[in-house]
Amino acid sequence: MQTEQEIVEKLVSKFEFLNDKVNVQRKKRIFTKPLAREEFEQVFHYLHDKLGFYKANHVVGTDDGDDLGFIYLLSNEDGIIFALKEKAPKSDPRIDSMTGVFPSLDLHERELVDLFGAAVRGLPEGPSYPLPDGWPKGNYPMRKDWNPKYLDKNTMTYNPPADAASGGGVK
Amino acid sequence: MREKNRVIIPIGPQHPSLKEPGCFTITLEGEKVVNAVVGVGYNHRGLEKACESRTYIQNLYLIERVCGICSHTHGIAFCQGIEELAGITIPRRAAYIRVIVAELERLHSHLLWLGVAGHEIGFDTLFMYAWRDREKVLDILAEVGGNRVNYGINTIGGVRRDVDEPMLQNISKMADALQEQIKYYLELAATETTLSARLAGIGKLTREEALKFGAVGPVARAAGIMDDIRIVEPYAAYAEIPVKPVTDTHADVFGRTVVRILEMLESLEIIRFCVKNLPDGNISVKAPRRIPAGEVISRTEAPRGEDIHFIRSNGTDMPDRVRVRAPSEANWRGVKHMLEGGYLADVPIIIAAIDPCYSCTDRAVVVNSGSATEVIDWQQLRQYGIDWHKERGIDVPAIKMPEGKKYMHIKEA
Repeated sequence: MQTEQEIVEKLVSKFEFLNDKVNVQRKKRIFTKPLAREEFEQVFHYLHDKLGFYKANHVVGTDDGDDLGFIYLLSNEDGIIFALKEKAPKSDPRIDSMTGVFPSLDLHERELVDLFGAAVRGLPEGPSYPLPDGWPKGNYPMRKDWNPKYLDKNTMTYNPPADAASGGGVK
Repeated sequence: MREKNRVIIPIGPQHPSLKEPGCFTITLEGEKVVNAVVGVGYNHRGLEKACESRTYIQNLYLIERVCGICSHTHGIAFCQGIEELAGITIPRRAAYIRVIVAELERLHSHLLWLGVAGHEIGFDTLFMYAWRDREKVLDILAEVGGNRVNYGINTIGGVRRDVDEPMLQNISKMADALQEQIKYYLELAATETTLSARLAGIGKLTREEALKFGAVGPVARAAGIMDDIRIVEPYAAYAEIPVKPVTDTHADVFGRTVVRILEMLESLEIIRFCVKNLPDGNISVKAPRRIPAGEVISRTEAPRGEDIHFIRSNGTDMPDRVRVRAPSEANWRGVKHMLEGGYLADVPIIIAAIDPCYSCTDRAVVVNSGSATEVIDWQQLRQYGIDWHKERGIDVPAIKMPEGKKYMHIKEA
């Protein structure tokens, strides 16, 4: 069994950029600070290939102002959860799909596309999830500036007042 | 739709097989499933967005309604997440009460599933027995929480309702009565050819495949994976309670059935332990309205598997972000694999075998009596059913089964 601290030490010795960006939050929880795309992918593969994080539990999208945040939760056989964070600017919200490593991430990453407007490259073809057909294009309901009261459910159009934020896309 | 020698059958989103909307596009060659596309998302209600504009206490009631069947486990996951952020330790008595209700919930969920499984394979007698037995558990849940589903037990800092001595006695009586029935279901699984013929070898998901597709709960445990949050990361009072892991290696629908039946016996043991060792003391501590800024990942073992709540607080009385990953969300990915290579006739039971969530019903029953409207309780409703059948020549309480059929003997809780 590896302790949380041993995992952190192995990571920091392997990736210098993690030096002040990874910490043991509490027993069975390790968190990173948001990483850039290339850094994220290196750490993700290392956790899976070398450190025994065999399971992808969850992906959480967050609206962090100018950036979108993506938190991938991986776990090992000791039940330690590693919260690996990635960020991408809203102006260029591209991330790479990790379904090549964990096919189970399929639905979670589709949700990042529908609800946050992430552009997930390499996501296998399939039905969108979870928004319905006919949802107004360019509207991402989990962004902080999207307000459900401006959605006209009869016409399925999003009509914010002129001084309100756009909700991530088309007014 | 026909394509060369293949027939594509769209099933759903509304269909007679399951009680919730889901769309399954099944491609057949003859009777064999060669491709399956699973479409979900028809029940997305925007709960997580709604959480961001409500206080933590208001969210507690919202979160309980993520699922009608496993409402309590969502309540625990949410509350213990907030408690971790706020640095609160709940009283031991509250932790034990959370466990008692969680195991009662597992019992009623598994009995519900067993009934549905029986129905899906045309074994409606099993469906009726299982749902009859489930009523005993729901009666206890109604007594403890005031409701058959959405019991409202949890609050931030502990539990809202205490259990008294008569309640504990009723729980023990129910556990004794149910034990016999569940042992019978285990015997049934081992000896009744209807079950083994219909369930064994279908919906296969090997250990490696279960890991690959991220299966959780009884689906993973039936593939030999010991993945139970009560053991891996004990919460509430589970660290003080002996919990025996239940696994199986059939890796098919039959294995999932065996795991759920054995888990019910284990739940009864846990409930008995809690009743016997319930600590004295308070049932809650005061929690602040404003929760310090931070992030937390909270996990519980729901009846269907690992339930994860991610919560980000920002120092106010409303969360910045709540993300719930219910166990069914994790198990859907494996369904496509389970269906492909199987036969059309097995599609309903394979889908049902992951125990996908569906909503529960109201508690109050309103019966029109002439021009007046009458509200009756459950005991009256049962009597109404008995009288209804008697008027038509069927005396239900007088029905006796042939000698040796001990499973028809109903112990009154």
